[in-house]
Amino acid sequence: MQTFLQIIANGLMLGGLFAIVAVGLTLIFGIVKVVNFAHGEFLMVGMYATYLLTTGLGVHPYATAIAVVPILFVLGALTQRFLIQPLMNARDEHIQIFATVGLSTALINLALLLFGADIANTPNYQLRSQVEIGPVRLLQGQLWVFLAAILLVTGLQLFLKRTNIGRAIRATAQNRAAARLMGINDRFVYILTFGIGAACVGLGSALIAPLYPSSPTIGTYFVLIAFVVVVLGGLGSIPGAFFGALLIGLVDALSGFYIGSDLREAVVFGIFLVILILKPSGLFGTRMSLSHVSP
Amino acid sequence: MRLSSILATTATAALIAGPLAAEVKFGALYPFSGQLALLGEESARGVELAVEEVNANGGVQGEEVVLVRGDAVDNNQAIGEARRLISRENVVAILGTYSSSRSIAASQVAELSGIPYFELGAVADEVTGRDLQYLFRTNPTAEDMGRMSIQMIVDRIAPVIGKDPSEVRVGVIHEDSSYGTSVAGHQERFGEEAGLEIVTVQGYPASTVDMSSLVLDLQGREVDVVMQTSYQNDSVLFLQQANEAGFKPSAIIGGGGGYSMVPTAEAVGTDVIEGVFDVDFTQYTVDPSYAPGMEDFVATYREKYGEEPRSGHSLNNYVGAMAIFGALDEADGFEPDTILAAVEAVDIPEGETAAGYGVKFGDQNQNERAKMMGMQWQDGRLVTVYPEEAATSEMKIGE
Repeated sequence: MQTFLQIIANGLMLGGLFAIVAVGLTLIFGIVKVVNFAHGEFLMVGMYATYLLTTGLGVHPYATAIAVVPILFVLGALTQRFLIQPLMNARDEHIQIFATVGLSTALINLALLLFGADIANTPNYQLRSQVEIGPVRLLQGQLWVFLAAILLVTGLQLFLKRTNIGRAIRATAQNRAAARLMGINDRFVYILTFGIGAACVGLGSALIAPLYPSSPTIGTYFVLIAFVVVVLGGLGSIPGAFFGALLIGLVDALSGFYIGSDLREAVVFGIFLVILILKPSGLFGTRMSLSHVSP
Repeated sequence: MRLSSILATTATAALIAGPLAAEVKFGALYPFSGQLALLGEESARGVELAVEEVNANGGVQGEEVVLVRGDAVDNNQAIGEARRLISRENVVAILGTYSSSRSIAASQVAELSGIPYFELGAVADEVTGRDLQYLFRTNPTAEDMGRMSIQMIVDRIAPVIGKDPSEVRVGVIHEDSSYGTSVAGHQERFGEEAGLEIVTVQGYPASTVDMSSLVLDLQGREVDVVMQTSYQNDSVLFLQQANEAGFKPSAIIGGGGGYSMVPTAEAVGTDVIEGVFDVDFTQYTVDPSYAPGMEDFVATYREKYGEEPRSGHSLNNYVGAMAIFGALDEADGFEPDTILAAVEAVDIPEGETAAGYGVKFGDQNQNERAKMMGMQWQDGRLVTVYPEEAATSEMKIGE
């Protein structure tokens, strides 16, 4: 029983980790409608930024979020402005996808050039120390990631629903042309949204860096699962990404123990396929979401 | 790349142009850029040092050895660069390659052209398993890694924990690419032959971000010895998560990759990695009387590159290259068949090279005297503990 509870707890913590990476991806996907293959590399950039700031200034890794989040915001905004936007009116919108693939490869190689293939360890400031909650043992850092994921999802949801900018963002997603007629600057909205999406993963990277060593390819470790989470939760649905992440985390942990680590991925992706076949729009996606009416 | 390689070659040639009259060209095919560049470059440094040493002592057959670099950044480019080295640079042989997949790809080209190909560092079984006539491998393989880890358990670990080998419960975990899978396969086979109780063999993707379930599973199976074949991130992850779950098997034996590198120890903490075993190429904490020339190698390395060797790759490539150049010096001419005959006659006993192991090519042109070393992390350093004649420190178990 104790082992079972420990596995559930591990699964939830893993889910929190996936969620904090996937939220920004689903936001960009839902609003800008770009599949950002460089999302994992944004995470990598954020983790190196955290590493450099933490070791350079000798501050707590979480404190670096003050700088890392804006850095990633700017990186995301620049990506939208100078890479995606010029391609917005390309004959085939899939070109944007290839542009992000190119960006991803370029960032990995840039990191290889700057940091080499070796791992970089962010000091963990006791974040890997254990906390006992009832019968289960967790890491302090994992709990913070989980808590931050909940706050981030709630905050984003409120921002999109309750603020004027949020409404403008959603309006642009639902119908770009109509939004423009209403006086919304759709280009600005896209730049802003891409920036926010990248800033989310910036927050994630400040939280993840003390738990995992940074390496140029670290982003690729997370990004595939992040895509699964995003599709599973319903493209563009922020609560969907959160609960999709928890589900994947739990399935991963349970199948890793009860079925074997060799088959873990087969189970995760098998369940993913089954859910998609039964509910093609994902867990939280509406059958014919308004956001699919435009460009 | 091409221009820089020409420049590098010219520079090297200019620096060491001495009394030697003629030149003989060898290709150095390694990943010098991209993902594998760090250890590719480290491997090539071993060959460079071998070339300098050989040239300083009169060259090979009185001719000055010139290295021409080829950048095997991926499999396709490995093939392209092998072609270039052979047809444009007219090298008499190619030395390489660090990466098994690049080696497998490029050696096909050399085989078809009838140019000897010397593999000094790639470990996959398939490199020498293909009946190639012109491919020779000097370094130990995945099979040697599997064999050595099992020997350590049977010979040393089982007696210390007071169990008969048949009572030792072994868990084999490995990253699931061909590297981890083949080492794990050998561990399972040698383990069963030795009568160990292999309770589980489990693969996982090297890009995994959570191994807690695997740790719980090993814990539940009451495993005495865990063997992991892995890269760096998954080595760190396993050691951290095992420690955090309070899982303390009598021994953890890592295989190469991440387990041999100092950043791994820094990532998990020296207290956590203390006592962990590692089976890999010969590193630098080996008994110098078993590896004559190793200390000189390190001194020359430091002088030339201004830093400590970053891993044992340079040493092993150096040893392989020295054995090849030594054999060629005895021959007459550089015709492919002359080279073949010369290296087939190589017979260097154990304990006479800078990496300890001897050189004699056997079945499939694999160096049948190549050996991995058993090492252990002690006080933040990786020291050699097995076999006894190579050891610099006592093995510590169950403290």
